[in-house]
Amino acid sequence: MATDELIERYAELAVRVGANVQPGQLVEVLGRVEHAPVIRAVTRAAYAAGARYVDVLYSDQHIRRAMIETAPADVLSWTPPWLLSRAKDIGEEKAAIVALTGEAEPELLADLPGERVGKARMLELAEENMRQVAAMLNNWTVISCPNEGWARTVFGEPDMDKLWEAVAFCVRLDEDDPVQAWRDHVERLERRVVALDALGIDALHFVGPGTDLTVGLLDESRWKGADSVTMDGLHYVANMPTEEVFTTPAKVRTNGVVTSTRPLELNGQVIRGLVVTFKDGKIVDVQAENGAEVVRGQLDTDENAPFLGEVSLVDGTSRVGQTGIIFSDTLFDENATCHIAYGGGYTEALSDPDAPGANIKSSVHTDFMIGGPEVAVDAHTRDGRVVPLLRSDVWQLSD
Amino acid sequence: MAAELDERLEKYAELAVKVGTNLQPGQDLFITAIVQHAPLVRALTRAGYAAGARYVDVLYTDQHVRKAKLELGPEGAVGYSPEWLKERWSAMAGNATFGTTGDPEPELLAGLDGQLVGRDRMTGVIEIAMKHYSDHVLNWSGLAYPNEGWATKVFGKPDVEKLWEAVAFCTRLNEPDPVAAWQEHVAKLKARAAILNQRKFDAIRYRGPGTDLTVGLLDQADWLAAEFTTASGIPYVPNMPTEEVFTTPDCRRAEGYITSTKPLALAGDVVEGLKVTFKDGKIVEVDAKHGADVVRGQLASDERAAYLGELALVDGDSKVGQTGLTFFDTLYDENATCHIAYGFAIVECIRGELGEGVNASSTVHTDFMVGGPQLDVDGITAAGEAVPILREDVWQLTS
Repeated sequence: MATDELIERYAELAVRVGANVQPGQLVEVLGRVEHAPVIRAVTRAAYAAGARYVDVLYSDQHIRRAMIETAPADVLSWTPPWLLSRAKDIGEEKAAIVALTGEAEPELLADLPGERVGKARMLELAEENMRQVAAMLNNWTVISCPNEGWARTVFGEPDMDKLWEAVAFCVRLDEDDPVQAWRDHVERLERRVVALDALGIDALHFVGPGTDLTVGLLDESRWKGADSVTMDGLHYVANMPTEEVFTTPAKVRTNGVVTSTRPLELNGQVIRGLVVTFKDGKIVDVQAENGAEVVRGQLDTDENAPFLGEVSLVDGTSRVGQTGIIFSDTLFDENATCHIAYGGGYTEALSDPDAPGANIKSSVHTDFMIGGPEVAVDAHTRDGRVVPLLRSDVWQLSD
Repeated sequence: MAAELDERLEKYAELAVKVGTNLQPGQDLFITAIVQHAPLVRALTRAGYAAGARYVDVLYTDQHVRKAKLELGPEGAVGYSPEWLKERWSAMAGNATFGTTGDPEPELLAGLDGQLVGRDRMTGVIEIAMKHYSDHVLNWSGLAYPNEGWATKVFGKPDVEKLWEAVAFCTRLNEPDPVAAWQEHVAKLKARAAILNQRKFDAIRYRGPGTDLTVGLLDQADWLAAEFTTASGIPYVPNMPTEEVFTTPDCRRAEGYITSTKPLALAGDVVEGLKVTFKDGKIVEVDAKHGADVVRGQLASDERAAYLGELALVDGDSKVGQTGLTFFDTLYDENATCHIAYGFAIVECIRGELGEGVNASSTVHTDFMVGGPQLDVDGITAAGEAVPILREDVWQLTS
């Protein structure tokens, strides 16, 4: 399929299934200048779906770099008031949002002073965005835009056709009717959610080479799939691709050892052979073939960083996993296989957002992959049964 | 990893910041540009911070997004100004701003209904901008970014290097000391304006093929050139290049007809062979070989659009004129030869309160070229005597 057609199909999916844009809605589109081809297609699709107005905001890492290099220190975390107003309007108007990933120059800021890079974040805007996400005002989705820089990161050469082919496969653009394929896919993940919630799981048990890990869940833990719902009842799919069902586990009931099954990209480093040991929920030991100190450094960020915030199940039908590609983009890589994340979890995966046993408040959330054909996953239920969930990457409950 | 910088582009941006906006330390710099101009915008941002800007705010716009709106969006989206965008424009008061030209896709909107394109102007934003210009609270400047699409329009092939050479010639970037060259050039044009001001002509008469037009002048309007000064005393050069001396005429006194001598790029279309007829100051008839509807649509956007706002005189010394090129870009082509503009006055020319003869309430300002070797321009004295100002593109008025 020609790239232009893939772009149109991806945009159509993002608008109809992802953000689920409603007639008369305001639509916000956020991306980088390198994402223009997909942004334009999303704009067309959104107007075709009846958008009242499509407000596109382009960002540019080179502008950010110049600011970090030279601007006065107090400006680094400043939010221009008009951007804050824009964000508030988007909340009040309950706009649909389409955001794009696919970093064109991942190393662009690497030579700048880390302290200034860390401070260069529009604080008031970030707080407003967090408030809006928590209030579930908006129907939103995150998609990607293949570009030369990202292709170079993934393949070592700017092979755009190859990257588009991989992305198209992951988001089902190769299907005759991608919209219907996604509806089927979302429903299948929802059936898994219903089945997992019905089991009444007390703990998950992962067993494989270098792995014997028990992750305790809370009574309040609820499984989430691809389907999200706004406060007004609009359904949307927040990530395209998505292959996971996930929940927020108990903070203090993870024990044992786990070995990562895929490389982890963190702060510009690739960490291989990560082995993490838990005791009563807390990470007490970190080993790796290389880069263990990067993980240890991150675990020191705050007191909740070394506790789990997410456990996520992905089987061998994952299209991201089937590509065998490391995308160096969380939107893709976290859908490759089963994973856990240390750091803060999601309140939307809890029946009570204030559940005291969950690990929510941390500025860290790092996913790493622990699944694969050699890793078996069982559910231990509260009524004492042991139910196989994954064997040889095959989902064991009825789909 | 810092990006490899293009030395010529960096110098161009530095010249624009120093001579164009004359940005002062501590000012904010607002840049509004289409996404295809990102390389220039990035260089301007770097030059802005280097000159002491507190914060550089970049807003990228996208003609493809606009096209999608006009093709597929609802009526309410046409000409709509988002509140946050108005807030951004309000915040510009007291600061420096750049706009950019050099259309990479000059025919992008050509297939759309000309009336619709003409109506799609963010009047809410433009009113704020016009107020800033009237209040003299912006040190603003415009400059062009050479790109493939623009080069193709000019040369029939995407010879960006050739276009860069023309741009460097016209903006004096190829001089050994561009800043000194600009100071000398500005002084020459200001001397011409001073002579015209001493003469106190009552009217200007244009005669040539398809042209016989007399336009009255205002007692309270001066001729200006090259350099403006903000209310707070910052001198700046609003156009790079600039070759014109100009004034705001009496909008009640224009009689006759005038034929454009160059194509006019307008609202994504190119108007060819434009001929307009004036009666009692107002455009009462519009003819063109192509694109008359785009002009008619724009003239209908408010009730003062059809009256003159500017007369500008340019002779054969013009570097733009010397290139012999049609740039299809007003910033350049208006400096090739004499032109007039319908719509909003150049209020910088007005001494004291804006009188009835000043066309100060339109949201339109469109220049079109009327000059060339076959155009005779005379100043008409209060006694009715005709004094030659331009003959065969040579400036006649030396005292």
